[in-house]
Amino acid sequence: MTNPATKPHRGTIHLEEAAILTHQAYPGDQYVLRVQAPACAAKALPGSFAHLQCDPLLAMRRPLSIMRVDPQQGWVEFLYKAVGEGTRLLARRQPGETLSLLGPIGVPFQVHPERPRPLLLGGGVGIPPMVFLADSLRADTAWQPFVVMGSEVPFPFQARPSQFLVPGLPEGVIAAMPLLEDWGIPSRLASLQGYPGVFEGYVTDLARAWLQGLTDAERTEVEVFSCGPHPMLEAVAHLAREFDLPCQVSLEEFMACAVGGCAGCTVEIQTPDGPAMKRVCVDGPVFDAQQVFR
Amino acid sequence: MASTDQNHKLRIDFCGMKFNSPLVLLSGCVGFGEEYTRVAGFSNRDVGAVCLKGTTGSARLGNPAHRVYETPMGMLNAIGLQNPGVDRVVDGILPTLDFDETRFIANVSGSTIEEYIAVTRRFDDSPIDAIEINISCPNVKEGGVAFGNDPDMSARVVAACRAVTRKPLITKLSPNQTDIAENARRCIEAGTDGFAVINTLMGMAVDIETRTPVIGNNQGGLSGPAIKPVALLKVHQVHQVCKAHGIPIIGQGGVTTAEDALEFLIAGASAVGVGTALFYDPLVCPKINQGILAYLHRHGLDQVGQLTGSLSLNQSPVRHTPACGG
Ligand SMILES: Cc1cc2nc3c(=O)[nH]c(=O)nc-3n(C[C@H](O)[C@H](O)[C@H](O)COP(=O)(O)OP(=O)(O)OC[C@H]3O[C@@H](n4cnc5c(N)ncnc54)[C@H](O)[C@@H]3O)c2cc1C
Ligand SMILES: Cc1cc2nc3c(=O)[nH]c(=O)nc-3n(C[C@H](O)[C@H](O)[C@H](O)COP(=O)(O)O)c2cc1C
Ligand code: FES
Repeated sequence: MTNPATKPHRGTIHLEEAAILTHQAYPGDQYVLRVQAPACAAKALPGSFAHLQCDPLLAMRRPLSIMRVDPQQGWVEFLYKAVGEGTRLLARRQPGETLSLLGPIGVPFQVHPERPRPLLLGGGVGIPPMVFLADSLRADTAWQPFVVMGSEVPFPFQARPSQFLVPGLPEGVIAAMPLLEDWGIPSRLASLQGYPGVFEGYVTDLARAWLQGLTDAERTEVEVFSCGPHPMLEAVAHLAREFDLPCQVSLEEFMACAVGGCAGCTVEIQTPDGPAMKRVCVDGPVFDAQQVFR
Repeated sequence: MASTDQNHKLRIDFCGMKFNSPLVLLSGCVGFGEEYTRVAGFSNRDVGAVCLKGTTGSARLGNPAHRVYETPMGMLNAIGLQNPGVDRVVDGILPTLDFDETRFIANVSGSTIEEYIAVTRRFDDSPIDAIEINISCPNVKEGGVAFGNDPDMSARVVAACRAVTRKPLITKLSPNQTDIAENARRCIEAGTDGFAVINTLMGMAVDIETRTPVIGNNQGGLSGPAIKPVALLKVHQVHQVCKAHGIPIIGQGGVTTAEDALEFLIAGASAVGVGTALFYDPLVCPKINQGILAYLHRHGLDQVGQLTGSLSLNQSPVRHTPACGG
């Protein structure tokens, strides 16, 4: 007989026919999708993703990070950019319709109490897991997170001036994400597009300014968390190394099964025993940055 | 398995193994047997057997990204046989599998005949239920399809493996060859107990912006509904050779519904593989089982095995049909 104690992985991912509750379009082909998926909502953690059937015409699902969940009400929310066939078909789906959702999947971000100053860096459609992580930190005031979001298309929210004074930042960089403001979490925005109140430059440049504004003692309490385009993650990993900070990044790779069965989504990881191929879907998507970027 | 006292109708005997269902989970799609059990409601008990990932003599890291890519009604893959090597599979993985749940079939690959022999021998001395010889992997430079497309080489690999195991031996044939029936004939002479028909078709996808192939390995194996008609014809052709010898076939290639599975059974398969369909619907197998049962009921059949090879060909449908089908 199967001993459940030796097979803790069993039954951890749920297949749900999820009703679309809201589906909001934003400039830059961005969409916020909220679906009813109570089993996924109950178990999702910051960094988890879901594998969605965008349209019955497609043979494959598409992976999207989970941005927010409400375990009580049973909904799950995504932010995605329509970039190709799958996400464009998804964008056409209407509230009231259902779509098949497989989730939650993946190893989540791990925060550590001895590092109470998490630095969250999200770029483009890497914003969602950072929002989820921020959401999970707000209940306990011991956490003092700082969030930087970057985007080269208009942000999928109406930025507003921050109520929080953050030392070290260049003058005039005051635009913040309203949701995080409401949660009492300081944030700032970065872009090369010259949006008002937004830092003109890279996420990592603003993050560096923030780190330099901390005392040495404060800096030892920082841990970096990031999700975004690959070149950004590489820059984040270098920044973390420069300041000798632990750093976790969420990676993307093309996926077929998303449950560990096909080895289609692997990335090369450096381990003490040499290089190893790890699956982004179930060994990740969150990895130690120093194992990914040399 | 889901419900009903009808399930006994799905039982088959495959190369001496008892399968609870004619469905087989296909190599490379379900890792080493436990991966899909992550999905709540999924059970290996819903299928007759599970084929493990292609295994080689020593560990292989596999191919660079991207390894998978969706194509119309299917996908390309070039995993490159990533696996921890046969010793780790036998010593580390097989002991964790629950052999009460289903039959587990090893999938053996190699770059040389010696490697096929060594891996087969290692599995022979293990609890594995059967051994599938993969002479049709399109995604490695040596071995694989290079053996499978040459009937002489295919027969040599099969004979060499046959010599070192008494376990059921299933030969997985490539569709990328001129005369699959001739190859099957040679493999039967060499001692195979069964066939898996077909492995993936070779294909390519091009990124028009970068003007490079999307797949890291440049080319990959095409699977999914797109290949089903090709697979059905190959199963039919191989069955013509097999039926006189009582040699069974695991028909595969693009099965997603009970109707697809029935087509394969009628064309000559005794069991039906499900691979790519899982990526779309991880819980598809119990649905296919139920659909097959409903069909058996509707047609007044007692056993799914009665369908195998029940195809009756149209007799000279049109005169002077050009051989090219045009
Ligand atoms: C763990 C994870 C989390 C993700 N989270 C988000 C998110 O929160 N928001 C968001 O907008 N996007 C996210 N992505 C990227 C998203 O999955 C792709 O943009 C999407 O699959 C593109 O599909 P398409 O058919 O629209 O594009 P196409 O370019 O037409 O895709 C063709 C094929 O390539 C694959 N593909 C292309 N780009 C990617 C990619 N970056 N990652 C994985 N597969 C890709 C597709 O799945 C599809 O099979 C995430 C990816 C991963 C792996
Ligand atoms: C991602 C992937 C990996 C595969 N790996 C193997 C393998 O290691 N050995 C093998 O014999 N076949 C392998 N195959 C082929 C399948 O076992 C199967 O023969 C083929 O995909 C056709 O069936 P399908 O259309 O139902 O997937 C692989 C297929 C896929 C999609
Ligand atoms: S997508 Fe199949 S192993 Fe990750």
